[in-house]
Amino acid sequence: MKLIIGGAYQGKLDYALSRFELHKSDVYSCKETTMTIHTKKPIIYGFDQWILALVRAEFNVQTEVDKLLPKLADKIIISTDISAGVVPLDSIIRAWREEVGRATVKLAQNADEVVRLFVGIPTRLK
Amino acid sequence: MRIFISGGCKNGKSTLAKQLAISQNTGAGLYYVATMIPTGEDDVRRIARHRADREGDGFTTIEHPRNISRLLSVYPADGSFLVDSLTALMQNEMFRADFHDRDAYRRVIPQLTRVLDAFENIVIVSDFIYADAQRYDALTERYRESLAHIDRAVAAQCDTVIEVAYSCITVHKGELIT
Repeated sequence: MKLIIGGAYQGKLDYALSRFELHKSDVYSCKETTMTIHTKKPIIYGFDQWILALVRAEFNVQTEVDKLLPKLADKIIISTDISAGVVPLDSIIRAWREEVGRATVKLAQNADEVVRLFVGIPTRLK
Repeated sequence: MRIFISGGCKNGKSTLAKQLAISQNTGAGLYYVATMIPTGEDDVRRIARHRADREGDGFTTIEHPRNISRLLSVYPADGSFLVDSLTALMQNEMFRADFHDRDAYRRVIPQLTRVLDAFENIVIVSDFIYADAQRYDALTERYRESLAHIDRAVAAQCDTVIEVAYSCITVHKGELIT
């Protein structure tokens, strides 16, 4: 598994498409209503959005992440870093922020490579 | 060198940027390109204080809250420039008194490209506002996206890209020669 992280609009998807020579048709995009991630396509984009859907539906997020992990072995996962701001007032958004943190740590521990994008520039963290 | 600096607020970006601009001064002039528009008396006083501080460091202040390409042809190509910051520039270009230009970044990128083509010794500062869980209204979100577009365009054209975190420096591209 390859994990690509970074703040919003930092060029994560552009980097993945260019580096792995893939196209937009190779991307599965999670929305904030996505309850189940389909793992047919090589790139899974918006991992953080899926977590938001789970939080809103009051699922046990980490159980769902653990169930999904074995299916992600050959995937490229893209997730936006939302961990570096003020603690949000809204309890759902606050829980979302924490669950994304925990889940992303799991992804990173299982990934053979972790790349962070900063203003379009990749840095290999693992 | 063309140097791009970003990071969190009050992390030491401007201090580093000033040092780098001073070290890049060949004697052809040291210019601080100010982008902030004062919105009250507090701002006016703060700006006057910063300006006096910089004059002590040898900077000439140029007020350019908009249309940064006006720097071209007026100032020497071998001068040392510091632009602080893209954050304020984007804000001024996008939010006018009477209207919002949602596509301002499309105008601003070619201007910055020309400025970077013309000036070899330039330090450009921006703010990293992209890693929080806050959910913004559509216009604010558009502003974040727009600033990220100009950040990425500038970073791509710069020799060196630096992230500052609480005075600690990460060089993401190129080398930092001081």
